Order: sequence, then C-alpha cells, then structure tokens
Amino acid sequence: MTRDVPLWWRNGARWIWLLAAALVLASFWMVSRVPVERIMGPVQKIVYIHVPSAIVTLLAFGITFAAGIAYLATKQWIWDAIGAASCEVGLVFATVVMITGPLWARSAWNTWWTWEPRLTTFLILWILYAGYQVIRSSLKSGSKRTISAIMGVVFFANLPIVWKSVEWWRGSLHPRNVTMAPDMRQVLIFGMLAWFVVYLAAFERRLRLEWAREAYSREARDVADSAPLEARIR
Amino acid sequence: MTFLVVMRKDLRLFVRDARFLATLGLFSASLVLILSVAFGPVFTEPAREAAATVWAALFFAGVLGLTRSLELEGESGAGDALRLSGADPFALYLGKTLANFALLAAVFLLLLPLTAIFYDVGTLRELPGVLGVAALALIGYSAWGTLFAALARGLQARELLLSVLLFPSLVPIWIGAVKLTHAYWGGAPVAEVKDWLKVMAVMDVLGLALAAWLYEAVEEAGE
Amino acid sequence: MILRAEAVTKRFDDRPVLSGASLSLEPGQVVHLVGPNGSGKTTFARIVATLLPPDDGEILVDDVPVSERRPQTRRAIGFASHAPLLYLALTPVENLEFFARLSGSRDGRRRALELLERFGLEQAAHRPIAHFSRGMLQRVVLCRALLNDPELLILDEPYAGLDDAGVLAVNQVLAEIRKRGRTALLIAHDKERGGGVITRTVRLRNGRVEEQT
Repeated sequence: MTRDVPLWWRNGARWIWLLAAALVLASFWMVSRVPVERIMGPVQKIVYIHVPSAIVTLLAFGITFAAGIAYLATKQWIWDAIGAASCEVGLVFATVVMITGPLWARSAWNTWWTWEPRLTTFLILWILYAGYQVIRSSLKSGSKRTISAIMGVVFFANLPIVWKSVEWWRGSLHPRNVTMAPDMRQVLIFGMLAWFVVYLAAFERRLRLEWAREAYSREARDVADSAPLEARIR
Repeated sequence: MTFLVVMRKDLRLFVRDARFLATLGLFSASLVLILSVAFGPVFTEPAREAAATVWAALFFAGVLGLTRSLELEGESGAGDALRLSGADPFALYLGKTLANFALLAAVFLLLLPLTAIFYDVGTLRELPGVLGVAALALIGYSAWGTLFAALARGLQARELLLSVLLFPSLVPIWIGAVKLTHAYWGGAPVAEVKDWLKVMAVMDVLGLALAAWLYEAVEEAGE
Repeated sequence: MILRAEAVTKRFDDRPVLSGASLSLEPGQVVHLVGPNGSGKTTFARIVATLLPPDDGEILVDDVPVSERRPQTRRAIGFASHAPLLYLALTPVENLEFFARLSGSRDGRRRALELLERFGLEQAAHRPIAHFSRGMLQRVVLCRALLNDPELLILDEPYAGLDDAGVLAVNQVLAEIRKRGRTALLIAHDKERGGGVITRTVRLRNGRVEEQT
C-alpha cells in the first residue's frame, strides 16, 4: 500500500479545492447582490449558509450511515475511513448550523433559542456525532471500526422518528415551505452546490489522512514483523 | 429458552448485589427529591412537573442500571464463557434486555409513589394507564439501552457517555412518556396525546430490530 | 477432533505477538506449550479457544474454519485460564447449570452435580463462589471447562495456587482425556507437576511454535 493516495486522486484534489473556492466566492458575490428580504432585513442572508450547511450535514451523516453498513458487510477498512471522514466533516457543518441558527432566530424572532423542531433535531444530531468522535478516539484499533460503523448506523436510523417527534412536540416556527422569490431560490440552490463542494474538498483531505494512517500502520507492522521477536520483548 | 435462562441469571445477580440495589434506589430517590425541591414548594403545574421529575430521575437511574448489567460479564471473565457456550447472541441480548426492563420497572415502581406523594398527583384510577405508558417507555429504553451499553462497555466514563448518547437518541420515547404521564395525571385529555403511544411503539420495535441485526457484531467487536 | 492452527498472526497495537504460529493437535495428545513470559502463550491459547480472532492465519477444527462460528465447534472446547470465567455471586450449581443450559443441555443440573461430586465439591455446591479458596475455585473452574465433555481441553496455568490434591485432580482429568482419545493443550510453568501426563512439548519462540523433544 502506497504511503499517499494515488496520483489521480492528488491531481483531482487540487481541482476540487479550486472549484470549491471559486464556487464559494461566487456564492458570496451572489448573496451580496441578491435583494434584501423585506421583513427580516439583511440578516436573513444567513439563510444562504444556514440551509446549505444543514443539507450538507444530513448528507454527510447519511454517507456515514451507508459506509457503516458497507463496513459491517465487507469489513474493508476503506469504508470505515469514509464513514469517519464524512462524520468529522459533517460535525463541522453541524456546528455551523448550530451557530447560524440561533443568530437567525435572534434576528428573526428576537430569541436565541426556540424549541423549534429542526434546530432541536440538529442539536441532537450534533451531540450524537460528537459522542461518536469521543468514543472512536477512545477505542483501540481492534474494535474501533466495528463500533464506529454500528454507531454510524444506529444514530442515523432513528433520525426520522426523532425529527418527526420533535416536530409534533412543538409547532413549527421554522418557515415550512419557504416561499422564496425565484432569484433568492436560485442563490440558495447555488449555495447548496458551493458548500457541498466544500464538503467534498474537506472530506477528501480527511480521507487522505485516514489513508496515510492505514499505510503507516501497515508499514510499522511490516517492519515489526520482520525483526526478531525476542529483541522486541521487554 | 436461552433468553429466559439469561434473564433469570441476570436477575439473580442483581438481587444478590444488595449494595448496588440500595445505591440505585437511593440515587433515584435523591433525584426525585432534588427536582421536587427545584420545582417547589408550591407547584404551579403539579401534573406536568411531576411527570418531568419521574422520567428525568428514571433516565439517570437507568443509565446506572444498564452499565451495571454489562459489567456483570466483565468482572470475572464470564463473557468469555458466554461466548464459548455457543449461545445465540440475540438470545443473550434479549435475556439481558428483559432483565434490565425488570430492573427499570422496579425503579419506576419505587419512584412512582414518591413522586405522586411529593407532588400530590395521581389516583388509582389512572394507575393502569400510567403503568402501561411506563411499560412501553421502559421496553424501548431497555432495548436501545442494552445495545448502547454493549457498545460502550470497556470505555472510560461509560456512564457519562451512555447518558450523552441515550438521551438524544431516545427523545421520542421521553417526550411521549412525559406527555402521556402528564395527561394521565390530569393535564390534557389522553385522547389528544394518544399518538405518542404509536411513536413509542415504533421506537421499541426499531430498537429491537436494530439489536437483532447488530448485536452479534457488537459482541465480536469486544474480542 | 483434530485442531489445526495455521500461520496464526496476532498483533497488539501493531506490535506482533504471534507471527505465523502453526500447531496441529491430534487425538490422544496432551500438548505442553512452553515459552518465556510474554511470548504469547496465553494469546495463542485464547486464539485456539476461538475467544480471540487472529489477524492472519486460520484455526481449523476438523477442517472447518472456526471463523464460521458454529456453536458446535465452541461447545466442543473446554477452556480454563487465570480468570475464573464464572459469576462470583452465584453458587457452583447455579453457575454450572447456567452454562450447561446455554450450551443446549437438557439436564444441566444433573451434570453439574455430577461434576461437583467428582471434584469433591458437594458440600460447597450451594454457596456463592465469591468466598471460595483458590483451590476450591480452581476446581469449580475445571468443572465448568469439562461441562460439555469437551473434545479439546485448553488449560492456561491450571496448577497456579493449587495444593497437591488439586494438582492431582488436574492430572487425573488430563490422563482421562488422553485415555479417551481426546486432546488437551496445557500451559504450565511447573513442568514437574504435569510430568506424568504430557505426551508432547512445543515451545513458542519468536512468535512461532517449535517442537521440543
């Protein structure tokens, strides 16, 4: 196994980062140009980060879910690497959601926190996946992968029920079907694309780190295997 | 039936550990006391505050019980012997889950009269309803809790981790339990909140299904 | 039953403990596994007992890989080590009956009482084992290992802390295993104690198994 990822990956990675930077810049430019929303004022423009981040978070954790299943089925390390990388990047985006959410709530409804369903569900997700990171880092390599995979599956599996429950628990202040002017919606969709590519770039980096770890680990093993055993026993 | 054998064994071990049972009982009673003091001395909405108290206390007591249940195997290597017996992992899981359910039910039966007395809520008429709700909630708590406890076994600070993970995952159960208990104790009419029964039942089934699928993998991960 | 360990490799945190250890155990053998402290004897024993999966290599029981996890394979193995693998708060009868039931036996209680009697534990059969002396506990451990009438018996340091009577009991078990054409794997520091019953000695060196004549 090579120490770094294959050449096509490294070359491709450069392009993804460039694309991400370009799209984000374009997105910011569009957001600055889009008309200010009448009722909520300029702060409403947070939605152009808030919503895409939320979508990316769900996507990221969904990938962790799928990767978990794949790992349990095949036991191949790459699926565990994908799951862990996606989870970590997803957690960053979830943090963005948890920061922009209250900011928007404050400006829109004059309160930092309302128990509105989507924000509450995201808080729950954040806690669960932060827990994932904590647990994963405390495990030895033997059980780490299986347990991470199981967590990735179980935490995501009851997401629909949790979401619905929080919705029923409290009526929604969150705009349901956002009726946005077409030009605003375009900017939003473009924002989703831009931030998704940012996710891909960060994910790629993080996956590369897992690759390097695995390669290093195998190297260390090979070196250790070939040295006489008695020399190594304390 | 293997799972019954396992359940009986776990129950026997719980019963013989008087110190653990006493600690569990005292701890959960203290929680009820703390919350009652926090809400009191005059309760603005006794039914609601009482429902919140009993379920919050039960949640934390449950974490202690669940961790203990998984520790039983670790103490003298009995887990190895379990594996060597060639027993079906799901039967092992189910037996443990049932024993945990019994333990949690016992805690609930302790906390229920305490809460009812402190908050002056509840009559015998609603008792069957409240017990039914508790049964549904505790089945789900045991099912998910046993699975998570197995995931977290052997980790440092596993009680903390377990609390952190179990509460968010089981939010549907907690909301349902509190709302229904509140309704039974004179809050809203039960008919309004009956849907939560379905939510809790779905969570229960989902938990058992996930465990059926994943428990063997969890067992193996410990090796 | 014939057990073959083929090229078993096991690492802990990337440090190899076993590197390509192979061993074949045939019926009628009492195999003594020796090696210095830390050479991986216990690890090897646990892998052979199917309690630990190897990183590389395979364990085959009657040509069936144990990774298939068939219950019958595990039930045919009796294992005893430093940890008692018992519930300390339960009595010997409760412990043995429990494990017998788990293995699918119908008359677990009868078998439990039988074994306890054989090892002179009838008096203590109904007391929680938490208060047992080392020697008595070891005898209960042996009972558990013999519960399913195993075809392969693995004993990791069975003589530790035993008096002469205890040592005799262990050796009797090993002799019987040999006579009945079954197999035993024994790890023990004191060679003399098991002297009479051992048929073959192998040594763990450099993570590999070598015959010792």
